[in-house]
Amino acid sequence: MAACAKGLDKCMFSLRLLRSPRLQNERFLSTSLGRLAPKEPSKFTPPPKPVVIDKTQTVAAQRKFLSPEFIPPRQRTDPFKFVIERKDMIRRRKVLDIPEFYAGSILAVTMADPNASGKINRFVGICIQRGGKGLGATFVLRNIIDNQGVEICYELYSPRIQKIDVLKLERRLDDNLMYLRDALTEYSTVDPDMNPVPFSLTEEVPVNKMKVRMRPKPWSKRWERPKYNVQGIRFDLALTPEKMEHAQKWAQPWREYDMLKEYDTAQLEEQILSEVQQAMSK
Amino acid sequence: MSPWLIQSRFIPVFVLWNDPAHVVSCIRTVKTTTWFDEHLTEDNQEYMRKSMAQEYRRQTVDKLNPLKDEPWQRHDWTQGSRRVGLVAVKLGMAPVWTKAGERHVVTMLQVQDCHVIRHLSKEEYNGHTAVLVVGGKNVSPFHRSEEQMEMFRNAGVPPKHKVTTFKVSDNAVIKPGTPLYAAHFRPGQYVDVTAKSIGKGFQGVMKRYGFKGQPATHGQTKTHRRPGASGPGGDPAKVFKGKKMPGMMGNIFVTAYGLKIWRVNTKYNVLYVNGSVPGHRNCVLKIRDTVLPTRSSTLLSPPFPTYFTEEEGDLDEDLYDDNLFIHTDPSLTLT
Repeated sequence: MAACAKGLDKCMFSLRLLRSPRLQNERFLSTSLGRLAPKEPSKFTPPPKPVVIDKTQTVAAQRKFLSPEFIPPRQRTDPFKFVIERKDMIRRRKVLDIPEFYAGSILAVTMADPNASGKINRFVGICIQRGGKGLGATFVLRNIIDNQGVEICYELYSPRIQKIDVLKLERRLDDNLMYLRDALTEYSTVDPDMNPVPFSLTEEVPVNKMKVRMRPKPWSKRWERPKYNVQGIRFDLALTPEKMEHAQKWAQPWREYDMLKEYDTAQLEEQILSEVQQAMSK
Repeated sequence: MSPWLIQSRFIPVFVLWNDPAHVVSCIRTVKTTTWFDEHLTEDNQEYMRKSMAQEYRRQTVDKLNPLKDEPWQRHDWTQGSRRVGLVAVKLGMAPVWTKAGERHVVTMLQVQDCHVIRHLSKEEYNGHTAVLVVGGKNVSPFHRSEEQMEMFRNAGVPPKHKVTTFKVSDNAVIKPGTPLYAAHFRPGQYVDVTAKSIGKGFQGVMKRYGFKGQPATHGQTKTHRRPGASGPGGDPAKVFKGKKMPGMMGNIFVTAYGLKIWRVNTKYNVLYVNGSVPGHRNCVLKIRDTVLPTRSSTLLSPPFPTYFTEEEGDLDEDLYDDNLFIHTDPSLTLT
């Protein structure tokens, strides 16, 4: 990597020399630039890489997103068990389109319900948590209906789910938005009849850097403590700096250096992503 | 050169002397113990391992070639006949949904290299029932004793991790060396699964038997998890045998009865069995038809004495129970 970077800035230097007016006035008929610019030895400049626009693949498939429930946890289970489970997950995904979404996106889920009128139940809410691995993966949607906070935990691969729509695709500063239970109600209200916000698949998912105002303490959990690592709360309005410092007593700064807790999933992710994309395209 | 372990054994010798003290004599025996790769060079060790693996793969792949070996006489199923079971490995658990939308949990058991090893007729065994010795999950031969290796060699089968006996009726005997597959069981059938439960070590009475213990406060001196009283008072004036006390918990054979089979994968030999099963992940278990009388599987007519690939080779890759939701079907609409 370092070697080609070196060659790149050398060829940039020689290009700059060409642009200087003294040399531009002379006509270049030969490609032997080494004679005309004697200080710079002629360096082989590789041709620019061609940009490949793959029109055979859909734009959706080109998006390199692997749903987090595909990544197996670090356990002593036989990897073969995850292979079989993944096959079932792919079979279900071919029937039901499970879109890409994150914690903080607004979803609408239609589910078959024996107790509802018309047997169909539609719920719109903000996704506060994505949990579980494999076929038992879940996500929790939160909304405030008639001044009552409602959270429903859905299983992604349950056959009762008819449709999952992403009304607004965005990310937040955290993966887990459970603190919305203790935040002001305006942050958890989602209009059930809202129109889907258009999102083009070629762009990156926008991160909503909003910081949420909280109700007065006591909260359901001590969100200021470092183990929750919450970035999306306005602590300056909720707590004094002394309390924030006091919360830092529960910090465990050695955890980031603990090698036994490391779990590098980069290679696994690539392999599983290619496997899943191949299987879905069949 | 080889390390000779000199073993000393104390053998008490009682001699009719007038001397009241015991006379103990010490007999020395010489024991030669060595493991297979102690005296081999490194490439020889590798060669041994590879050649063993190849031979066992060849042995496992097709046994009972109908041209070469004649299988034993096949009998029909009669009321009251018992067939063999299987030896499988516990992979893990997963959720499963029915067509009515109910969610159940399922344990996945994979049948890895299950072979019949021996047949003991009822005279040889106990005088009442014939027995088939079945083994599962191949393992390296280098840590098995010579007697065990002889048994495996007679069946023409690689050495197995677990070897169990299944009591079998006389019309269900199978020739030693026959492979057994997961399609031996069919979805909708009920099975019993036996395995060694996870060992918890020496545990107190609260964890072992669910005793309530004592309160944490209100003046309790050093008594929070103790068993308390050990029985009635002066009348028996003893502690009864079998009194529940602290001791080793787990690591014993436990059977789970009446587990329904939801799905059978014939390609990878995986059984999806309802609920949980004793044992840790990747442990070897014993599966057989239920003994519960209300869950007997006569209606399903499972293969008797076992599933042979030569005869019923054209099963689907996945066999599902009638009530099970298959993931390739469209989503449920409950009406």
